Amino acid sequence: MILRPRKEDHLVIGRYTGKVIIGVGLLMVIPLITSIVFQEWDTVVDFVISISACFIFGFGTQLVCRTERDLNWSHGLVVASGSWIVATILGALPHWLSGHEGTYLDAMFDLMSGYTTTGLYLLQDLDHISYGLNMWRHLLTYAGGQGIVVIALTFLFKGTAGAYKVYVGEGKDERLLPNVVQTARAIWLVSLTWLVVGTIALFATGLALGQEPVRAFLHGLWVFMGAWSTGGFAPQSYNTFWFHSLTYETICIVIMIAGSLNFALHWAVWTGKRKEIVKNVETISFAITLSLTTMIATFWLAKSGVYPDAMSLFRKVFYQLASGHTTTGFSTIYSRAFVTQWGPIGLIATTIAMAIGASAASTAGGIKGIRMGVMFKALMQDVRTAISPESAVVRSKYHHIRDVALDDGIVRTAMTITIAYIGLYALNAVVGTLYGYDFVQAAFEGVSAASNTGLSCGVTSPTMPALMKLLYIAAMWMGRLEFMSVFALIGYAVAIVRGRK
Amino acid sequence: MTRARRIVVWAVLLGIAVVLSGCERQGTPQANPNKASSAVLVESPKEYDGTTVTFTGEAIGEAMVRDDKAWIHLNDDAYYLKNVEEGAHLGGYNSGMAVWIDASLAKRIQFFGDYKHEGDVVKISGTFNAACAEHGGDMDIHATSLEIVKPGRDAQDPVRSWKLLWALALALVAAVLYVLNRNWGKWGPDVQQGS
Repeated sequence: MILRPRKEDHLVIGRYTGKVIIGVGLLMVIPLITSIVFQEWDTVVDFVISISACFIFGFGTQLVCRTERDLNWSHGLVVASGSWIVATILGALPHWLSGHEGTYLDAMFDLMSGYTTTGLYLLQDLDHISYGLNMWRHLLTYAGGQGIVVIALTFLFKGTAGAYKVYVGEGKDERLLPNVVQTARAIWLVSLTWLVVGTIALFATGLALGQEPVRAFLHGLWVFMGAWSTGGFAPQSYNTFWFHSLTYETICIVIMIAGSLNFALHWAVWTGKRKEIVKNVETISFAITLSLTTMIATFWLAKSGVYPDAMSLFRKVFYQLASGHTTTGFSTIYSRAFVTQWGPIGLIATTIAMAIGASAASTAGGIKGIRMGVMFKALMQDVRTAISPESAVVRSKYHHIRDVALDDGIVRTAMTITIAYIGLYALNAVVGTLYGYDFVQAAFEGVSAASNTGLSCGVTSPTMPALMKLLYIAAMWMGRLEFMSVFALIGYAVAIVRGRK
Repeated sequence: MTRARRIVVWAVLLGIAVVLSGCERQGTPQANPNKASSAVLVESPKEYDGTTVTFTGEAIGEAMVRDDKAWIHLNDDAYYLKNVEEGAHLGGYNSGMAVWIDASLAKRIQFFGDYKHEGDVVKISGTFNAACAEHGGDMDIHATSLEIVKPGRDAQDPVRSWKLLWALALALVAAVLYVLNRNWGKWGPDVQQGS
């Protein structure tokens, strides 16, 4: 029996959603200041409108939804997924007001893509947008990578016990420290340290490559945000192909891979446990599947003779595959070159890498290495059981921060989420095919959206059918929140309509 | 579901549909200046690989000078003559080619396209490489000549008065709500206690 939510449920959900949206409004102050500094006055007005809209929603809900009640688990899930929708609708205002989006739906697509660290976009004439809007694009993907809720937790929630439930609802269930707010701050400590080091490295390289200081700094900052958040946004339409530099690409690969690692792993290394990198099931799984997919694509492209020498071949293949596997979405080839140069096997290898994705509790998307590791271990356990004497008891374990015994519950959870991802990938591929796109291309793009990668082979465009845009928005959202929060929100909506009093 | 609730749900859905579908910007985008456009080159790289091409486009971003050579990027998309802020119709993504050229030629370019500038429109001639051996497999053009077809200029993006009015009105409402929210304890009824 489904119970209809009571007024107090609406109040507590509204109150916390409002707090998250105030956080989004505060975040917009950074692009506002950027536009003021560069005297982009029309963009300044766009951000004043957008910040005001966020504050009206946020303070309005604080006024209307006055309650001292704390969140329970279902509230936390609903707040996490609901906040992302409201943040997408209101956060799309600067994009829409800039005049660079064909429809408001396109603007919302870009916002959801940013928050979910996907990197697909429908914004047109990117090469002429303001610094302020570019700052917003990259900031929202950086913030989305850490989790919008993590930001709100850090600055606005002030240690409420219910905050942990929203945190988990956003797809991050690692508790690095006993207190969830301390955990959120630990995530920020790691991220901000990387931000400083990564930006300086890219800035210095940009200068050496011939960029003027202001552009080198801003490009360094934004490319860092795109790489660390595994988002894939870049300031120019050429993406990281713009720089034509092996050094720049190498730094990007290091940041992409670092950003795709579990925050718990980062914290372990941060606190001195460096061996964790080579022992962790996620890093082992990532290394194996990245090597395999890179080998497949390299073999195919070597056979087809697209690239003139081994160095060029490896440089192109490893960059696109590392980008795809970490679900970043940076590229150093044209989108259509995946089709016109890489061909079907190259597309399929990249699709597999994107589908698997990187680590759980990171900024990355996809099925995740830990689930691949758990399912592989479960398979091997079954094989060992089958060939062992009947009386033998076969046990398995895997290492993630500590040794964990493999039990049916862990395997079932991994399988459930994996099946949900595969179902979502298949849905996107089938819908794309029904709209007339080639199946392999539709699968590539559909997996890219649902795994929050952002590599494109040309299917995503402002002229694609509105239903596909809506489907991709939903896929990005579900893929990022790993389904449960979204199901909770749908359940909440059903309960409002169908639930018993 | 009660009748009133059903009406509200339908009204919200209708409103969303109108907002999402009714805001499409219309217009005819700028025609492409090239016979072998960037889109054609990317679609048929084998066909043009190693051939001499002439390519016209707006210089974008910056020239990245490396010793006596430089990288420039030329866009031949719908915005190469006028950007969106100046009223160009939306015509899809940016599209262009990376060009490797003598630094002395690249320095002739005065304006590079960005938010505040419409870049010089330049015509280059050179060899198209589907996967350049010298540049790690990049798709590029190694140019040997450069001609300024149309000089660039400062782009205008004046503040629209309707936007300014909205900004002032919304900021005022947000400020009032903030003050109300801060002082509710003094003015408003008791907060509802949860179970």
